[in-house]
Amino acid sequence: MPPRILRNILAKLKGRGDKNLTRIQRRRALADLAWRTYPRLQLLLFAIGYAWLLTIPSTLHGQRTYIDENALQPGQVNTYWNWADVHRADRYLEQLESMRDRNASSHETATFISNEFRKLGIPASTQDYAFSTTSGTVSGTNAYAVLSSPRASGTEAMVISASRLSLTGEGDGTLNLRGIATVLSLAAYLKGYSLWAKDLVFVVSDGYLDGMQAWISSYHGVTQGNLVAEPLQLSSGVIWTALNIDYPGHSFSHLGVFFEGLNGRLPNQDLINSFQVISRFTGGVPVLVYDHFDQSEFPDRVPDFVPKWLPQGMRRNEATQEYAYRAQNVMRHIGYQARGRASGVHGLLHQFRIDAITLFAVPAQGPHGFHAIGRVVESTLRTLNNLLERLHASFFFYLLVGPATFMKIGAFLPAPVLVGTAMLVGGMGAWAAARWARQGRAQGQAEKREEGRDVPAARWIERPRPVAPALSVIVYTHALGIALFCLCTWPGILAGGNIVATLLFASVALAAGGGSLLARAPAGSTQAPSWMILKSFNLCLASTVISVTSVLNFSLAATLAVFMGLPLSLSAPSRSAAARLTKFTLYALLALGWLLFVPGEAAQALRNWEVLRVWFAPFVCIVYTPLVLQAGVVCLLSP
Amino acid sequence: MLSMNFDIAFPSLVAGRLALAYLNLPDTLQHDHQLSTPLTSYPRLQEGLYLFHNGVDPYSGGLFRHSPLLLSLFSTVLPLNRHTAALLWTASDALAAWALVQIWRARQQLTAKTPRDSLIAAAYLLNPYILLPTLARSTATFENALLLLAVMFACRGKAAATLLTLAVATHLSLTSALYLLPLVLLLLTTPVSHLASPRPYPYALQDIVKRAGPFMVEYTVYMLVLAGAATLASGGWGWVGKTWGAVLTLPDLTPNVGLWWYFFTEMFDHFRPFFLMVFSIHLAIYPLPLSIKFQHDPLYALYALTGVLATFKPYPSLADAGLFVSMAALFPETYAHMRTPFPTALVHLHCSLLLPLFHHLWLGAGTGNANFYYASTLVWGVAMGLGVADAVWAGLVAGIKGAAKKGDAAGACAWDGWEVAQE
Repeated sequence: MPPRILRNILAKLKGRGDKNLTRIQRRRALADLAWRTYPRLQLLLFAIGYAWLLTIPSTLHGQRTYIDENALQPGQVNTYWNWADVHRADRYLEQLESMRDRNASSHETATFISNEFRKLGIPASTQDYAFSTTSGTVSGTNAYAVLSSPRASGTEAMVISASRLSLTGEGDGTLNLRGIATVLSLAAYLKGYSLWAKDLVFVVSDGYLDGMQAWISSYHGVTQGNLVAEPLQLSSGVIWTALNIDYPGHSFSHLGVFFEGLNGRLPNQDLINSFQVISRFTGGVPVLVYDHFDQSEFPDRVPDFVPKWLPQGMRRNEATQEYAYRAQNVMRHIGYQARGRASGVHGLLHQFRIDAITLFAVPAQGPHGFHAIGRVVESTLRTLNNLLERLHASFFFYLLVGPATFMKIGAFLPAPVLVGTAMLVGGMGAWAAARWARQGRAQGQAEKREEGRDVPAARWIERPRPVAPALSVIVYTHALGIALFCLCTWPGILAGGNIVATLLFASVALAAGGGSLLARAPAGSTQAPSWMILKSFNLCLASTVISVTSVLNFSLAATLAVFMGLPLSLSAPSRSAAARLTKFTLYALLALGWLLFVPGEAAQALRNWEVLRVWFAPFVCIVYTPLVLQAGVVCLLSP
Repeated sequence: MLSMNFDIAFPSLVAGRLALAYLNLPDTLQHDHQLSTPLTSYPRLQEGLYLFHNGVDPYSGGLFRHSPLLLSLFSTVLPLNRHTAALLWTASDALAAWALVQIWRARQQLTAKTPRDSLIAAAYLLNPYILLPTLARSTATFENALLLLAVMFACRGKAAATLLTLAVATHLSLTSALYLLPLVLLLLTTPVSHLASPRPYPYALQDIVKRAGPFMVEYTVYMLVLAGAATLASGGWGWVGKTWGAVLTLPDLTPNVGLWWYFFTEMFDHFRPFFLMVFSIHLAIYPLPLSIKFQHDPLYALYALTGVLATFKPYPSLADAGLFVSMAALFPETYAHMRTPFPTALVHLHCSLLLPLFHHLWLGAGTGNANFYYASTLVWGVAMGLGVADAVWAGLVAGIKGAAKKGDAAGACAWDGWEVAQE
């Protein structure tokens, strides 16, 4: 016999009467509890989700980075790159500078570079390409060389690349001459060693991103409708890893690491960690995330990114500064990843499963130059040369909040997923609410007063829930999104200035508003109000989109959670027509505001879709905008 | 919209499907692991035909696992190319949708057309789980069409046609043999819905055995004839192990939406035969209890069985799930008794997005691994399980509530006052 307390608890849980009756009662009680508490549960989930997003930059999260792949052994070799190689790099630089000064054409420069590779005894070639986009044609010439591995069959390869334009200002025209000189000098130097187990492919790509996109697509035999590229003369094996060198200044103080790839893909963290260890201990160069200076290096200076309006005491507070520093890194990361942008040329390689990063020599008065960057690249290549299989041991999903501090997926993923869950709870609640209507409240109360006994205050009646009208609104808005996207890809629409944008905004918003006619209920119907069903479907769809995106692209999911989470949950029709229209206009602004407020951003996203197949632009037009417009339609329907 | 004329709706739906089949979609979809399996994949069929044309026994390797009947059909009568494939696969779906409408009419004992006909055809032709495998030219399309045809013939009481169609379906996919029991029970009775008025099976066990015995013999004869034809066509017995044997021994562990592949990837070799037996017997258990429980409505037993097999069979694809989902359109009388239709739909929404996504992360982007995809197939299993459990529940509760309505059970309780506790 169990002790009495236990028996009492069991009896309370199981009930004393008929087993089946208790079961039904328990189920009813649970359903009742869920029904009564779901708005509070939803609020709680929202609160935790958003609060979690805010704590991401705090020191509550994050751990030191570590090397996971044993084969890498970073920094365990002697480096032999020396001043003679630096001198060679200087000579290359002089020639490149003279070509720059006489405005040599890009074809001429590429021919020069491939000739220099050939002079070193490395097979080299050039590749002409041209992209046609809605905003014009982009063309150029790449130069590349393939150094066959002396020790292996050349089934695998590593890429060392430099683009003609630096990533400074996203390819604003700053030349990467020292990067190219480093690649050329490295080619000469690395050829002297017989220890390479993988082919070394040197690429000097034209432009900022376009050249590498043409080269890497041709390398993998991928055709693209708007790209005309010469086929490659030389080829090599499967590319596992790549280092892109970006050295725009005269000297540098730190090496910054850029790692975001197209469509939010990140390289394996082992690559970043190995580079970080090597740079710090072999090259003696401190590493930064992007070009953000770590405030711990300058204890006396209050960094610029700490808001000016904070009280002096708080600005000087170490925790505040750390939070602000991490927040700056996270925001930059979200800026790249959510929009699916590559943070540098390395990002284009990710689409072919190549783990790649850009080493950015942060321009400064000193103390480092060719000597340091050469040693760091040499040692990093030696480390990558050790690989026996692709990088796979370490993390692919992470947030790098500092050069040697990162967050695992479990520490940041729950934030958007919780917001998504809150929306799901809201959606299911709306679905249940659509079914039940309270009737005869006044009557019930009157009875209670008269008879003085417990009469249910209201009677719940069941309503049919027709799904066809709501589904047709959803299909209609998404079709509208596809139409909007097709319109945007017409030449001149996004570049048409304010008037065209305003017209487009107004017509799409009007068309979406017209969609409310699809779900208009006949007068005096006893069916569930269609706005409730539409809201339920809208919330469930948006929640699914957020949860599913979060495993693909955390930053996009977090951004969607902010833009759609609470706003979509608040949609409801009002009694007055003016209030309804105001609400609809607000939702239309949230859905289509990008047309009016950030036309440059929109044009850039479209260009990225056309040249680099970044699906951010179609995603916004076909998924995000329609979902928010549906919430607008909810507000327009009769309450 | 729902009352659209069937004579207009059906041809336009089929025309729309045909137009889709002529787009470039099939070439990108045909390699998709969700839409076709090693046993139904179109590129493998082409490979087998190529080998066959060049005098190499396609069954000597491990790639080709289609029936020799398909091999002989496509290498003689009907050469397989872009156009014939588009036509044939669309025609197969059209036939299946038409059979589904005929089953509906037989179940409702309708002679005239009803507005729901178009809806049922649309439920089949527009179901993404049916549409996408057909665009990917998975041969599961034929298996679905054959099964629905067999059911249609059984509804009409045409024994020979039923058994022959089922034999062909079994020949293409051995798992279809499990449909024999409910189909024979359906042949012996009517397809009319008795869900709300359960009754014992009209024949005693001896009678069933006596009447079903000849059917079994007939089915076996058809199977033997087909097997003989297949052996003649392919020039040897090699096909048996490569096609039927694959269903029992799972030699190809290409990922699919089912629950077998990952389990047997992880399995130590000396446990393999044991668990292969357990998994296969597990499948074979279902027809009998389902047929006993739904003896008043064998068509419903068959419907529940399609869901079970789509969840647990060795090489399932979305097409199998599609058959279950589309057949739900035949049983509107159960909708009111379903407990979790909305959450089930939501889980389906989630996993139909997660499956391709995790597949891409693992095999495309290379940032995920097999466990990601396996996790999403588990979610898929949950989605299917929820659907099947709800279908069985709704079918049984319809009986209890129907009895209560008629006043059989004590008669004291009103119709809406009924609630069922789950044991």
